[in-house]
Amino acid sequence: MTAPADPLGGFVWPAEGDSRAPYWIYLDQGIYRREIERIFEGPTWSYAGLECELPNPGDWKRSTIGEKSVLIVRGKDGVVRGFLNKCAHRGVKLCEEHTGSGEEFMCPYHQWVYDLEGKLMGLPFRRGVKGKGGMPDDFDLSEHGLTPIRVHVRTGAIFATLHADTPDFESYLGETILGFYDRIFSGRKLKLLGYQRQRLAANWKLMLENIKDTCHASLLHVFFVTFGLFRVDNPSKVRMDETGLHTGLVSERGQQELTDGTRQMASFQQHLALQDPRLLDTVREFPGDATVIMHTIWPNLILQQQSNTLATRQIVPRGPGEFDLHWTFFGYEDEPEELTQRRLRQANLMGPAGLVSMDDGEIMIRAQEGMAVDARSAGVIEMGGRDYDNADHMVTDVALRAFYRGYRKVMGL
Amino acid sequence: MSGDLQRELEDLFAHYAEVIDDGDLERWPEFFTDPSLYRIVSKENWDKKLPMSLMRCESMGMLKDRAFASQKLNVYGPRAWRHFVSQIRARVEGDRIVARSNFVLYETLIEHQPQVLCLGRYLDVLVRQEGKLLFAERICVYDNAIIPGSIVLPV
Ligand SMILES: [Fe+2]
Repeated sequence: MTAPADPLGGFVWPAEGDSRAPYWIYLDQGIYRREIERIFEGPTWSYAGLECELPNPGDWKRSTIGEKSVLIVRGKDGVVRGFLNKCAHRGVKLCEEHTGSGEEFMCPYHQWVYDLEGKLMGLPFRRGVKGKGGMPDDFDLSEHGLTPIRVHVRTGAIFATLHADTPDFESYLGETILGFYDRIFSGRKLKLLGYQRQRLAANWKLMLENIKDTCHASLLHVFFVTFGLFRVDNPSKVRMDETGLHTGLVSERGQQELTDGTRQMASFQQHLALQDPRLLDTVREFPGDATVIMHTIWPNLILQQQSNTLATRQIVPRGPGEFDLHWTFFGYEDEPEELTQRRLRQANLMGPAGLVSMDDGEIMIRAQEGMAVDARSAGVIEMGGRDYDNADHMVTDVALRAFYRGYRKVMGL
Repeated sequence: MSGDLQRELEDLFAHYAEVIDDGDLERWPEFFTDPSLYRIVSKENWDKKLPMSLMRCESMGMLKDRAFASQKLNVYGPRAWRHFVSQIRARVEGDRIVARSNFVLYETLIEHQPQVLCLGRYLDVLVRQEGKLLFAERICVYDNAIIPGSIVLPV
């Protein structure tokens, strides 16, 4: 079925409040347009890339904020800037490759040339040809540069915003989440290991939910459970910021013993070992007991330290029923080659062919299909109660409730 | 290259695709030496010399673990896969055969039209062991930057 076009005309959030997520928020075009306006083009910081993707002056990458294509450019002065990816003349998309490098940007259509700071340097036939034509005398180059966007760089990662009133990045993240962030982006120079990209026929919020839904890891991911990488009874923590929109999910690797928690899983198979244990042969590389920290940073980033796999997942919404997921894997410039090899091996768990992440992609598609059966019903978010408090275990939907409380506020729902 | 070798490679590549498309995944590792290198890599990473793969197996154990997980552990919807392999060209280098070919992989989900899941090149190194040609290296470099959905089996 297709949902009615006017969200407020036909839809009311269920009376149970934040312990329900009505399916029309995943299906309705009007809701989606409002999300683009209020969230992706609103006062939020979207992840745009890593500094190690543009190490040298003149390097640039194409990125996407909400639905808008943007350029992230390192200037001759080393400063990272952002622009909308379109020529100021007739709107032609300026850069097509994922990344590149150069002294300037030239639009091939009429050869308008911009410097790395987005200033229009010149254009052919400006003074006409043999006294004929040309731009008017009062045409001012300085008024026709690339459209700049605000960019913030913090220890290795680049964020951008399309809104003038976005608060400073540090207050936006809040102290708790910033603490997790700084653990991965500690100032050590990053080493780019590569990309994985996929398109999923599901609503973009399902990706954030998937991470915040801490219960599923020990149920859906039979691979995890089978080989002892994650158990529901592992010591863990759910931490949120004040808005409830960002989350830090921390877990520690447990003992490989059959416990009450695992016994309850229908799919649990005992006594399985990998034929080649190198796949899960992890080393501790951060201080503290946490072996996994998953961050969801509102609205478009999942930052993950899953054992030795470090990656960003950038969400690009493409309508209510589709989003792209861009995975960027990295390590540290000064790390031993042996650690890099572990990261490359453990990456088998992640991405569109990931021994773990494939389950997530597939289940999101299936959720989207199921929800479309009845847009007026709602998902039940009651594991762990109906509260919003930080938890010291994973058997809870608290991060989802806090998320939908924050989301409703932003969306006016 | 001799016509015999060409025919042998054509048969081998067809057999390899058949095993995956027919769902006989436990036989997939039998096509490789031990150790070996199996990778699925985007053209983007390949061209930029970035080492990240979509799938990476370095030993018989890893191939078997992947086959087992794909068949028994991972959760995904029902689908049909169909490989098309063409333009096999190979040269003999000492005791190795270096081959290149093209592949298209179609995926058909229930109630959906077939779609190209990925399309690209196989870059192979083969050796003969006990009379049988085996992959010492099979690197699948796919052209499409974005994978539609998931790659739930080896390519
Ligand atoms: Fe998951």
